[in-house]
Amino acid sequence: MRKLVWILAVASVAAAPPVTFETLKKAQEDPASWLSYGKNYYGWRFSPLAQINAGTVARLAPAWILATEAAGLNETTPLVFEGMMYLTGPSNHAWAVDLLTGHMVWSYSKFAPSGLGLCCGPVNRGFAILGDRLFKLNVQATLVSLDVKSGRVLWETTLDDYRKGYTATAAPLVVKDMVVTGIAGGEWGIRGYVDAYDAATGERRWRFYTVPARGEKGAETWGGDSYKHGGGSTWVTGTYDPELNLIYWGVGNPGPDMDGDDRPGDNLYSCSLVALDADAGTMKWYFQFTPHDVHDWDAVGDPVLMDIALGGKTVKAVVQADRNGFYYVLDRTNGKLLATKAYTRINWAGGIGSDGRPILTGKLDPTAEGTLVCPGLSGGHNWEPTAYSPQTGLYYFGSTDGCEVFTKRKQEYIEGRQYQAGGSQRPPRELNGGSVIAVNPATGEQQWRYEMISRPAGLLATAGGLVFTGDSQGYLIALDARTGKVLWHFQTGAEIKAPPISYSLRGKQYIAIVAGPNLIAFQVP
Amino acid sequence: MQLAALLLVLGPGIRAQTGPNPFARNAQAVEEGGKLFAVSCAPCHGRNGEGAQGHAEGVRAPDLTRRVFKAGTRDEDLFQVIAKGVPTGGMPGFEPLGADAIWRLVAFVRSLSRFEGPTTGDAAAGEVLFWGKGNCGRCHAVGSRGANIGPDLTRGGRRSTAQRLKRSIVAPDEEIATGYELVTIATPDGQTATGVARFFDNFSVRLVDASGNERTYLRDEVVSVTREMRSLMPRDYAKVFGNQEVDDLVAYILRIRSEAMAP
Repeated sequence: MRKLVWILAVASVAAAPPVTFETLKKAQEDPASWLSYGKNYYGWRFSPLAQINAGTVARLAPAWILATEAAGLNETTPLVFEGMMYLTGPSNHAWAVDLLTGHMVWSYSKFAPSGLGLCCGPVNRGFAILGDRLFKLNVQATLVSLDVKSGRVLWETTLDDYRKGYTATAAPLVVKDMVVTGIAGGEWGIRGYVDAYDAATGERRWRFYTVPARGEKGAETWGGDSYKHGGGSTWVTGTYDPELNLIYWGVGNPGPDMDGDDRPGDNLYSCSLVALDADAGTMKWYFQFTPHDVHDWDAVGDPVLMDIALGGKTVKAVVQADRNGFYYVLDRTNGKLLATKAYTRINWAGGIGSDGRPILTGKLDPTAEGTLVCPGLSGGHNWEPTAYSPQTGLYYFGSTDGCEVFTKRKQEYIEGRQYQAGGSQRPPRELNGGSVIAVNPATGEQQWRYEMISRPAGLLATAGGLVFTGDSQGYLIALDARTGKVLWHFQTGAEIKAPPISYSLRGKQYIAIVAGPNLIAFQVP
Repeated sequence: MQLAALLLVLGPGIRAQTGPNPFARNAQAVEEGGKLFAVSCAPCHGRNGEGAQGHAEGVRAPDLTRRVFKAGTRDEDLFQVIAKGVPTGGMPGFEPLGADAIWRLVAFVRSLSRFEGPTTGDAAAGEVLFWGKGNCGRCHAVGSRGANIGPDLTRGGRRSTAQRLKRSIVAPDEEIATGYELVTIATPDGQTATGVARFFDNFSVRLVDASGNERTYLRDEVVSVTREMRSLMPRDYAKVFGNQEVDDLVAYILRIRSEAMAP
């Protein structure tokens, strides 16, 4: 009898329903799990769990710590499913972790070749899951599928040739039976795209080039052959609206970054948000935040989907805190601009016109001598994940606040070489800072601002009325979601860049964060 | 055969160069190289080549003031690395600038060496000034002497050239060493404390004031914490010391350093 019970228990574990497209569509209804990069398809990063709240957060403490020993910055969003966590690390590392004990169950790694065109380290931002398969990008521009139970490689597909400057760092996005991916290398003269691959075989279903070729619509916004190395990387995961069947994906800077002379025109679809038909990979609409960018202002901030009350109607919106310093609200059915608002110090534009184009204050292009521009090269809001709380109705994102001096120089394109044609530096006598900003998502009106000494890590909002983030000095921080007041902080001992996530196990809520090489799970004892 | 191999390595853009640098110690070339450096190199290597956080996080370019380079010791080694870059380290090649510009950059990089001291200063006289009239030891340590408030000078502002050391004496606010900006804390009892921070983060500050008093403050226990890009150094050294005396001080600091760094 006892044996039978044991067998039934095993059987019930084995019979746990796998993650399906339907599960992913309803991800918000499953508070225990974290099934995709943005928690749900809309990119909310909102956990409905509320055990950890203003009343209990003071007692939040580590349950366990796992030292992965993988050196380098970790930017991953861990996935949680059926008592297990699946997370990636820098330099093609990944692990499966038992959440009851913090023990590693399996690990994966793949050699990263030298000579990769990486601006910002061999980082990775996480897995995607479907059925019994995990998917991750490797830094040398390959997409690998792993068996969820063993970590064994099921297939691996090459997106592009890393020797030509193509790399990959984003978490993939599963849509239907496809794995949608972005590419990196905007400082290395690539021509960017968004790809979709068959989840079962790894075969490519479609590719959308973010930089149109000669003869295609939009090609007239690039001079000469400049489109061939026009950048337009897609290095941060997009979002998906199942009803509209549209994928929203942010596109990076045009190349070369600081010298726009050889690429006259708006340089579509760089620094834009594109809405793609999920089945065909064709573009339904685009919105360009920074035409003819020369400040490396990738439009890769999370495109978060929410339904907003506007003029007595509910509007299907997509919002983005753009790296150029402005917050935008767009109609996600057609890309029409609904609202915009500056959220940090800006000197390059006086505002955004009703046509969506910035109203330039003058010629603030980089020069050989240097031009002071606010915000600086990293923005504004950069790539770090943002959060939306339907409980407070507020949208939260991080920002670098300050200015930098931009310089440019002449540079020829050489295959596989950095192709930036300039750079930026903090003015010697300025102290730039950062902040977590809470806005009314319909207007961008600021509700509160938590100022920090540098830009925060990724964010998490919870139904406990909290917003979690981390900082470069190693603090994990809990803020009151309504006021921005610090309610709790903990020194983790290593730099935090990754976003915190929340899950539950055996009826208990946890907050998990990767700090440096360490994964830490917090609970209220 | 060897030539063919060299050409292959260098590609079609530029011919292999042999040293020495045609612009070596040519003041005008150094100045022109400096302008090129500010645009092409400073974003990663720092304004004075001291090595810095690059334009992107996680990219740290080497200190170029050490007179020792991974690429080699000869001018042509520097030429080669500037032309071809270090693909594994994230450094682009600057071949498109052309050979003359690269040689000028080499001349400038050579001028960054922190071992290029003034020849006019008298280190012995500088030592007397340092511990006497300047009272520099009130804040700076040299070996086991002096205080631990400003940067330790045992290695003499390790990444500084003579010219930069000179500026930091007569115009201390011009460039603040990282971590030595002025911090002021107001406490609930109406007191203020001013000094430099041993550490400074979003939740705490450890302050050392001009008298060497050192204390950790939790930021939620104080009224305010402000940071200014100012130095705690006295601002009147340009008046207190004559030109020759400043050179003497610099000579002393450079002597301390060469002693400390001798094998």
